[in-house]
Formats: sequence, C-alpha cells, structure tokens
Amino acid sequence: MKITTLFFGATADAVGDRVIEIELPAGATAGEAVAAVVERFPALAKQSLLFAVNQEYVGRENRVGDGDELAIFTAVSGG
Amino acid sequence: MSDKQTQGHIGLTTEPLDVGEIARRVVPPNCGAIVTLDGFVRQFTKGRETQYLVYEAYEPMALKEMRKLIDRAHEQFQIEHVAIVHRLGKLEIGETSVVIAVAAPHRRAAFEACEWLIKELKRTVPIWKKEVYADGEVWVEGEQGATPEDNSA
Repeated sequence: MKITTLFFGATADAVGDRVIEIELPAGATAGEAVAAVVERFPALAKQSLLFAVNQEYVGRENRVGDGDELAIFTAVSGG
Repeated sequence: MSDKQTQGHIGLTTEPLDVGEIARRVVPPNCGAIVTLDGFVRQFTKGRETQYLVYEAYEPMALKEMRKLIDRAHEQFQIEHVAIVHRLGKLEIGETSVVIAVAAPHRRAAFEACEWLIKELKRTVPIWKKEVYADGEVWVEGEQGATPEDNSA
C-alpha cells in the first residue's frame, strides 16, 4: 500500500522535501511507517519526532491504511 | 451557531493581526469581560537577538486542534466565546503572532481560560517557528507534549 508523508519545519529541512510517497506492507502500524521513513532519510534519526495520521495524533500501534496521510514533525513551537 | 460548544472563532493568516478587532468579533450580551492575549515577536531570547521569525503550520490539523481546544475550554471554564488566530509566514520584531480572546460573564474564568488555551496551543497545535539571527537560524522545538503518550518516535 502507499501512503503520503508530510514534513514541516525541521523535518522538511532534514528531508529536503515536504511531501513524499512511501510504499508499505499492508497492515503496517504508524510506528513502522515512521521507522521506514527514518531509514530512508537518516537525518531524521537525530531529531525527536512526533507524528499524526490523517491529521490526528495517534499511538505507534495504530494501523495505517492505503492512501493515509502521515505527518512527521518535531515538537510544536507556535504561540 | 446555537450550540455553546461551538462558540468560537479560529483562524490562520499571513496578514497582520488586529488584536482589538479579533477580541470584539463576538461579545455575547451576558458577558462582562474579555481577556485577550497578544503574543508578539520578542527581540531578545536568552540574550540572543532575533532578526525575525518565520511561522509554518500543518494547516488543516492546526485548525482541527484549535477547534478541539475551544471545545475543551468550554467544558472546563464558565466562558461564552473564544477567538484564536495565529499568524504564519515572516514576522518582524514586535508583530503579533497569536491572539487569544476569551469572553465570559465574569473576568476570573476568562483569565483562567486564556492562560490554559495558550499553554495547550503551545503543546498541541502543529505550528512551528524559526528564529533567524544575524549569524544563523534555528527551528524552535517546543516541549514534547502532544498526545497520546506513545506518539513520539
């Protein structure tokens, strides 16, 4: 299955891109999806990462589905 | 909007923010106080001089999280209306980055809700700021705090 991965701020700089598509085995969890992205972009491994699936914070064990939107970012700093 | 849970205004914009206008967007007739936070760009942070800031958001999720904060604030505090507007893009020193306005029948609830809202916004709403100095720049990292507990990778 294929998911869309989004990056913002520090993670966008580390990856050099804001949107990429990744291929994952069916049934993969959010944690496994993030690990696959970090493996492809090792610069992310230096950062402390948070993630969201379809615009919601979810736990690592949550399954992702085909076409889902995974966002990977560092701790938020608005205000 | 007749449901109290939905009494709120949220926004993200690259345009300058008018604090007074945002605070006065809705003033229910049973209210007697509005507490407004005007967060603006600080020139010196821990002695280091900032030239300007750049804010970036995961916009659809940021709007959802702002809406959730307003709903949660209505559950916890005796308030009638909330406005939260955050600016994005490049901001100069002294420009307003965020406005939170809370209208309530009595001031105490408005003060408490406003303080709670900015604290939660800084913890959960996906917006990031880059501080640009004379000799470099850095994406500021907030405190790790977004829910759920097992989210951080």
